[in-house]
Amino acid sequence: MQGFPGPLPDLAQLQSTMVAIERACSLIQMHMNPAEAEKIINPLRQSSMPYQTCRFILENSEVPNARFQAAGAIGDAAIREWGMLTNENRKSLILFCLHYVMEHASAADAYVQLKVSAVAAQLVKRGWFDFIEAEKIGILIEVKQAILGFQGSDMQSAGISFLESLVSEFSPGTSTGMGLPKDYHEQCHSSMELNYLKEFYCWAKSAALNVADKIVSCYANISEEKVCSRALRFMFQVLNWNFKSSPSALDNSSSKSNSGSFGIRPDMGLLKKFERSLLEPGPLWHDALLSSGHMLWLLNFYAIVRQKHSSDMLWFDSPLAVSARQLIVQLCSLTGTIFPSDDGEMHIKHLTQILSAVIEWVEPPNIISGALRSGRSESEMIDGFHALLSMATLTSTMLFDNLLRSLRPFGTIHLLATLTCEVVQTYVIKNDDEQTWSSEALDIMLEIWTVILGRSGNDMKISAEGISSASNLFSTIVESHLKAAAESAFEDDSEADYFHVSVSRRDETLYAYALIARAAVETTVPFLTRLFSERFALLSQNNERMDPTQTLEELYWLLLITGHVLTDSGEGETVLVPEAIQDGFSGVTEELQHPVIVLSWSIISFAKQSLDPKMRNAYFSPRLMEAVIWFLARWVDTYLMPIDAAKGQLGISGHDEGLQQHPQSSKKVLLSFAGQHSQGETILDTIIRISMTTLTSYPGENELQALTCWKLLVVLVRRRHVCIHLVALESWRDLARAFANERTLFSLNARLQRSLAETLVCAASSFKDLETSNQYVRDLMGPMTAYLVDISSRNDLKAVAQQADAIYMVSCLLERLRGASRATQPRTQKSIFEMGCAVMNSLLTLLELYKNQGEVAFLSAKETSILVNFCLQLLRIYSSHNIGKISLSLSTSLQSEAQTEKYKDLRALLQLLTNICSKDLVDFSSFSNDAESTDIAEVIYVGLHIVTPLISLELLKYPKLSCDYFALISHLLEVYPEKVAQLNKEAFDHIVRTLDFGVCHQDVDIVDKCLRAVNALASYHYKEKIAGKEGLGAKALSSEESNGEFQQSILSYFLRLLIQLLLYQDFRMELAGSAADALFPLVLCEQDLYQRLVQEILEKQSNPAIKTRLASAFYALTSTNQLSSSLDRNNRFRFRKNLQVFLIEVSGFMRII
Amino acid sequence: MSDEEHHFESKADAGASKTYPQQAGTIRKNGYIVIKGRPCKVVEVSTSKTGKHGHAKCHFVGIDIFNAKKLEDIVPSSHNCDVPHVTRTDYQLIDISEDGFVSLLTENGNTKDDLRLPTDESLLAPIKDGFAEGKDLVVSVMCSMGEEQICALKDIGPK
Repeated sequence: MQGFPGPLPDLAQLQSTMVAIERACSLIQMHMNPAEAEKIINPLRQSSMPYQTCRFILENSEVPNARFQAAGAIGDAAIREWGMLTNENRKSLILFCLHYVMEHASAADAYVQLKVSAVAAQLVKRGWFDFIEAEKIGILIEVKQAILGFQGSDMQSAGISFLESLVSEFSPGTSTGMGLPKDYHEQCHSSMELNYLKEFYCWAKSAALNVADKIVSCYANISEEKVCSRALRFMFQVLNWNFKSSPSALDNSSSKSNSGSFGIRPDMGLLKKFERSLLEPGPLWHDALLSSGHMLWLLNFYAIVRQKHSSDMLWFDSPLAVSARQLIVQLCSLTGTIFPSDDGEMHIKHLTQILSAVIEWVEPPNIISGALRSGRSESEMIDGFHALLSMATLTSTMLFDNLLRSLRPFGTIHLLATLTCEVVQTYVIKNDDEQTWSSEALDIMLEIWTVILGRSGNDMKISAEGISSASNLFSTIVESHLKAAAESAFEDDSEADYFHVSVSRRDETLYAYALIARAAVETTVPFLTRLFSERFALLSQNNERMDPTQTLEELYWLLLITGHVLTDSGEGETVLVPEAIQDGFSGVTEELQHPVIVLSWSIISFAKQSLDPKMRNAYFSPRLMEAVIWFLARWVDTYLMPIDAAKGQLGISGHDEGLQQHPQSSKKVLLSFAGQHSQGETILDTIIRISMTTLTSYPGENELQALTCWKLLVVLVRRRHVCIHLVALESWRDLARAFANERTLFSLNARLQRSLAETLVCAASSFKDLETSNQYVRDLMGPMTAYLVDISSRNDLKAVAQQADAIYMVSCLLERLRGASRATQPRTQKSIFEMGCAVMNSLLTLLELYKNQGEVAFLSAKETSILVNFCLQLLRIYSSHNIGKISLSLSTSLQSEAQTEKYKDLRALLQLLTNICSKDLVDFSSFSNDAESTDIAEVIYVGLHIVTPLISLELLKYPKLSCDYFALISHLLEVYPEKVAQLNKEAFDHIVRTLDFGVCHQDVDIVDKCLRAVNALASYHYKEKIAGKEGLGAKALSSEESNGEFQQSILSYFLRLLIQLLLYQDFRMELAGSAADALFPLVLCEQDLYQRLVQEILEKQSNPAIKTRLASAFYALTSTNQLSSSLDRNNRFRFRKNLQVFLIEVSGFMRII
Repeated sequence: MSDEEHHFESKADAGASKTYPQQAGTIRKNGYIVIKGRPCKVVEVSTSKTGKHGHAKCHFVGIDIFNAKKLEDIVPSSHNCDVPHVTRTDYQLIDISEDGFVSLLTENGNTKDDLRLPTDESLLAPIKDGFAEGKDLVVSVMCSMGEEQICALKDIGPK
């Protein structure tokens, strides 16, 4: 072949290499000594100009694995040596690969052919901007001819598979790295999209058309069917392309503004959940996809072939069926400017067309699910659901409902409801392991419901028929779940999924159910009330004769679903009453007739029963109580003294009563029944009593108590106007008293006590005058501090402190202090601060005793100069206990425990240091009244002295610890290089050694931080030197260690290390920026050494071609772009650019052995 | 709510009892617990329920702090467990006798001679070597439920 690169070795040598490679490959295949085999194969990949050898192997070897390796070697070598190949060389390599694939199209071991065509695709991409247009066309024309089928169906397949590799190579997500900047990939991406993608699609389309006729009339042989399915698959791949150039993104606003009129919505990203995206190829594709009747052909083709195979249950999973369906579903999500602006007419026609075909896949639901139960593959139905999801995403709810009306006497929502009923019923009968499809199907179904019901305003209007379908569907859902709940009531609770009340995945499902219920509130809320009252009545009549477990489980489930229907979760946001519930029930004006109020009351009075010990013991199991607490938390957040009601009342006084419309009056009733001036306070009182009960009468039920502390009580104190009522209640005062003075609440988990303290202190903000709030906090926390002071000043402290109960007590108290200090607000700052001061000394005493509880202690301290001193002392104490202590435990497991504890301590220390020096700096400098305040840097300086000896290279292997450590070091070096320069020699060396370790680390983040640290170090030295000062002084100049590694100065050591890293190792491009920043000051500091190093590297290079390239690259690195020798920002930026060019130019071929 | 009202009774009189009752639900990992009469360090806690509407139970895995044997226990989380008092005291090492006993200097100047050298080789060797080199050694003695053992060593600098 003309222009094939590389010297041609003699035949014997080629033979021997081939045999060696073959042997190595078979070794790998048999899993014998893979390391040895790699030693033989790797040189082939890394050697210079291995093309002739590879070609020989590809053409002659009998071992497919060897051919595979040879193909890979061509790719690797050519990408690496691209700069050194002539244009002729490059083209001939690509053509060789292409021809090879074509010629061996029908050969066995398809993976070899795939690899070769992938290599060809890689090379095409690498040279995409080197070749002129005619050259590219020259290459592609051969592919086109193969695909159009002039040379038989095997060639067609080969051509399509080349296009597949090419397209995936050009999509940024699946491209292989080439050591080129990201820009290059982007440019390739858009060039491909603009110039070739549609053409490729059309080639595949005509290939499919070619064979389709034969398939339809059953004349097709296997390879022709394969061509068809591959072509369809490729078309699907093209349609998955991430289209960038379509202008729709720009005029999104205009299309949105008129979307309301005809119901097509430019919704982005909603399909993400199932890893699919909307398809927006832009107007250029109109002829290819829409006007040419392509869609109709595809749908008919699938329908006919499906008809032919209707008796064959396996056909649904055949490649042809799968890829045809995928393509159809993908075309369903077609949107954007490809449709002309004709008020969505064409788009609607397009969707209706697809729907008319897809409906065959899912209808009638009961027959389909029957067929699935008897063994038919579910893939077609699932694809049908996906198509429906795409349609739902792209249309308004009304339009979505109407799409089906031209084909059926009912709307799409009705169909959807029937389908969902079927799926839910199958889903809840989980005991059959083979019906796994139901959970996937349910997922998609609920996603569709969430899409069509989860939007607001005009887009979500449902017909009466739709509402009644939703209502029926909800009844089915609730009934089948209740049945399932009753049946599962006696099962052992091994599944973690059902353990907690709030589990995100289940919450998602319940949220979707709730949306369905809210679509038909008028019927579903009374329905829930009825179900709940029935179960409640059953319990009250029970008289302990029957086992109530089934009813309990049913109630549990009802509480969950009711909670979801009535309230939104509103994590971190102000929760409002859901719109559908606010706006529904327009005829109701009487409070006692409002269904939502009736339902709420029945649940609250049910919950109240738990206060009666007899009822509690008989019926309120911990699990049921969890649901009650969870429900109450959400309910309180939404309905208790809502903000809207307060506003409404203001409005009423100023407005004419006559203007109040009916719907608004029902809304008013709903919002005010638990308001500040009606039963709000009574309900609040009940709820506090219930919480007290869960905290005291359910000992050891951590889940339940956690819910009470973290969910319910937190919600109570969240809003200030609720707090005002709260602190006035006797029950709240009882709770506070119990917390401050009684022992009962000490039996809670320590972390819960912390949160309880936080909640109680939070309520202090509601008092009107400052003194009352502070007194409240004092009353609350006084006993704690008093006890701590008391215990720390005991004479026999040493003996007492080690006793388990004392330890437990102290840790509980500390947790409480911690909680209280977390609730600090400006109003209560004074008392909290008093609290902090009071315990500071005792804390230190205790600290000395509990060497390992340091973390707890410092968090409760306040941000003052006391803190700084405190930290200093903390550090000293910590270090005095840990340095030089060899702690050895008996068993290895205990020892590793100790190790992790130490690791945690260190992390806490490091984080403390980092926080002090970064965040708090501002706070401190503002009120530093010189004499008293200690220099922050001083603290860090001492801290560093203490920490560095504790950090061993061994410990740095823990990723989190090393991350923290290097974050600290790099920050420190950047901000306080002068402090570091003052460190004693040992500590400094230690830091340098860890940096050395870090630069060679695997983790990109850590390397980045180290490079930043090196940069800071070198910049500091350089600046100081220019200013005529000492800089790093002796440390930078020479190090007395004689182990060879550190003999040169530290900076020159790093210079050498970095250059090594850049040139010879697999350097990651994303680090180029920070590497440049670090390298630049180093080069400036050590000009001479740098020149010497460059000389060294050049002389080592034997190949003259490479040598000259390298020399010019090095020259360009330091001399282009008006680089000067100052460290300002512009200069650094220039150097960054230079280094990037340098790396692209050089890094490839420097790695050759 | 005045300060006089609060009274945390302090049962922590030295040597009064060997264990202390604590609710099972509040015992956390890394705490101590008595399992089958042995003081253990808790290395694993998990909770389970008997049936959906039953009460929670805690499952503890502990490691005997003296002989490193693994022990397990299941306790309803509302019940009380025995938690051992575990104390660590530092003594300066004065002498190692030939029969394997050590003599230690207590805080009030007396000596304590009833402890054996540890059997663990990784602790034993540094003690012996350090002592032979004449270093000042401080050993930590762990004491719980009437048993005592040397568990750690600290070098407070050569003479």
